[in-house]
Amino acid sequence: MKKLMTGAVLLAVSSVAFAEAPGGPNCGWGNMLMKGKSGMGPHFLASTTNGTSGNATFGMTSGTNGCSVNGTLTYGGKAMVNAMLDEFSTDVAVGHGNALTAVAVAYGVAEEDREAFAALTHQNFAVLFPNESVTADEVVAQLETLMKADMQLSQYVI
Amino acid sequence: MRAPVAVLMSLLILLMPAAARSADDAWTQAQAKSLWQHDVWLKLGHYKAGAWPGTWASDADDARFFLDERGHEDPRAELEATLAAFAAPAELGDAHAQCRFVARLHWLRTELELPELPQPDCAEYREFRALVQATRVVLVFPSYYLNSPSSMFGHTLLRLDRGAADGGSEYLSFAVNFGALVDADDNGLFYAFKGLAGGYSGQFEVDHYYKKIQEYNRSENRDIWEYPLNLNEEETERLIRHLWELRQINFAYYFFDENCSYRVLELLEVARPGVDLTSGFPLTAIPIDTVRAVQGAGMVDDKSFRPAQGTVLKQRIDALPENLRAAVVELGEAPQRLDDADLQTMPATDRARLIEAAYRYLRYSQDKTTRDPDIARRSYQLLQALQQQAAALPPDTALADPGTSPDLSHGSRRLAIGAWSEENQEYLSLGLRMSLHSLEENRNGFPMGAQINLGNFDLRIDEDGDVDLNRLDIVDIVSLSPRDRFFKPLSWAVTTGIERQWTAGSEHRVAHVNGGAGVSRTPWSGSLAYALATARLEYNHGFADPLQPAAGLRAGWLQDLGPVTMHWGLGAERFANGHTRLRAELRHNLRLSRQQALHLEVLWRDQQPEDTLAIGVRYQHYY
Repeated sequence: MKKLMTGAVLLAVSSVAFAEAPGGPNCGWGNMLMKGKSGMGPHFLASTTNGTSGNATFGMTSGTNGCSVNGTLTYGGKAMVNAMLDEFSTDVAVGHGNALTAVAVAYGVAEEDREAFAALTHQNFAVLFPNESVTADEVVAQLETLMKADMQLSQYVI
Repeated sequence: MRAPVAVLMSLLILLMPAAARSADDAWTQAQAKSLWQHDVWLKLGHYKAGAWPGTWASDADDARFFLDERGHEDPRAELEATLAAFAAPAELGDAHAQCRFVARLHWLRTELELPELPQPDCAEYREFRALVQATRVVLVFPSYYLNSPSSMFGHTLLRLDRGAADGGSEYLSFAVNFGALVDADDNGLFYAFKGLAGGYSGQFEVDHYYKKIQEYNRSENRDIWEYPLNLNEEETERLIRHLWELRQINFAYYFFDENCSYRVLELLEVARPGVDLTSGFPLTAIPIDTVRAVQGAGMVDDKSFRPAQGTVLKQRIDALPENLRAAVVELGEAPQRLDDADLQTMPATDRARLIEAAYRYLRYSQDKTTRDPDIARRSYQLLQALQQQAAALPPDTALADPGTSPDLSHGSRRLAIGAWSEENQEYLSLGLRMSLHSLEENRNGFPMGAQINLGNFDLRIDEDGDVDLNRLDIVDIVSLSPRDRFFKPLSWAVTTGIERQWTAGSEHRVAHVNGGAGVSRTPWSGSLAYALATARLEYNHGFADPLQPAAGLRAGWLQDLGPVTMHWGLGAERFANGHTRLRAELRHNLRLSRQQALHLEVLWRDQQPEDTLAIGVRYQHYY
């Protein structure tokens, strides 16, 4: 059996606080801010081999930290925040950046509204990231609350 | 419920002869055109001509890729079986040949009259295509990564951009990557061996590009170069259709030739029929050479740079005034230092830059470890400060000079001819190096302090015309990463091969393995000083007991002076049997053009009891 054990163990630890995680049983929504290199196990494996481990992902089965995104057309803003929480927090603090754009795109935010998205998150940095131990799902909840209350951006959250 | 099914079934049975007839008819047409010899068909089946004329074998190493049991060797039988399978009952659904071999179907429709085929519901393919769409294809080259045997030469993959990809949306693009399916229990060295022997299977993987960014830019700290291709809509469609056919299909994976880069070329050949990219790589497919082949075929429009996390950080630190750099580390250790008078009163731009550098540096350091509550708290304080000062940050500046992109480096292979004088002998040398780059060679397009040589042969022709082996470097890797206040990487070297050594008054060919580890520094711009502790194992018939270990030291200085690079080195070694060696060498490399150089070498060796001096000049041609 191809080994993905290290990764699985890490994920189990990071999702332990959530009895029922959205996105599937192995989904690592509990990613905490300032985590450093998340998922070090599989990354290390990939770096020594340049290869893929186990079942090669082929588009539709792709997930983030075990999160199922099957059937969704876009990747989903939640999954993106979770996948790149540190980069996202940096971009929000600075007010722009690739991770910020990626999250906007994943929420389906149209190009003409991305500036508003960037401004909203930047101005509400303290709401999104109230402390250093905030988790991805808390950030997502705050982000969607902010978007819902925003005239321009409420259309992108249900 | 049952009656409609029965009606449906009987209808199908009635329809089947018609479908079968159409398959026969299609096969008659295909025979008339000898369609199995068509280049497109051979490319779609990954067929390669065998040694015997008229024989074929597919690179796809997987029965699931063929519809005929002889399909692996027989493109004709495979074509016949494909046409027959297209006429199979529609309720096979996703398992139907029409659903699995969408590119074959699409092409055969353009070549043959294929009337009235059953219409299976290809739900999986529809789902795949709903996700994987592209308006642009980009060839991606994650740069050389010396810390892993498999990534030393870099890597290539494709990226499928959906819509206008710019400033972040390409994070959500799909990466198409061919990689070995590895066993995690295999370590790096074993991987290299197994990879050489074709011991792995490789498969295509389609996954989000941001994961590649995280893997290369962040985890491995590698710069990424991206080369957008000018594939049109139909070519891009062809590529994606064929990609679907390759889902979970195994190919034998060979580290040197049938590797990631080779398979990427094959995909591009399917995308643009008639273009020949693979024939130039019969023996090895070094990733950067495959990038050049794609450029040479006129398929590349542009290039862009995606810097590694460490590259960004270095640029941020370099942009700071010298007197502020100490504060980068201080702030990371104690963010409350921001309240000190000297940091309060500085210009807003400097303060914002300083906070950004300190934050990025702290995060970069943290990335090597697991989450630490104290570092997290300090990082957060700096991030808060950064958010408050963000308005004062200068806009991001351009990050790399396209003139230093890896495709502009000297050729991967090298031919060299040299003239030498050693004591009272004169001889000529003839050298062939299969790959790739030495420290003192023209560094444009290569990372600083990297030497990546595999397969360097050198012959000696003496005054009597006798030809003999001068040296053989099987592996010769040096990674010199300078340390400074901020970065503390290890420098190291690994070498193995055959060389000449004077032992007990005569010259012996010896086999050797060497490893070394140590530090390097950049005393000033354009220079690099290094010192390594070394260990050596040598097999030398000049010794009473031929197999001898040794320990030693090695130090050197590299200096870039425009077209000239100077490399001076010193080495000392002591063997277990008491034998001692001292060595001093000087290598000057003069760049004549991108593909030509003159090389001067002076080598003094004290191998006790005698010392010897060799001087040589070499002309080097890269291709």
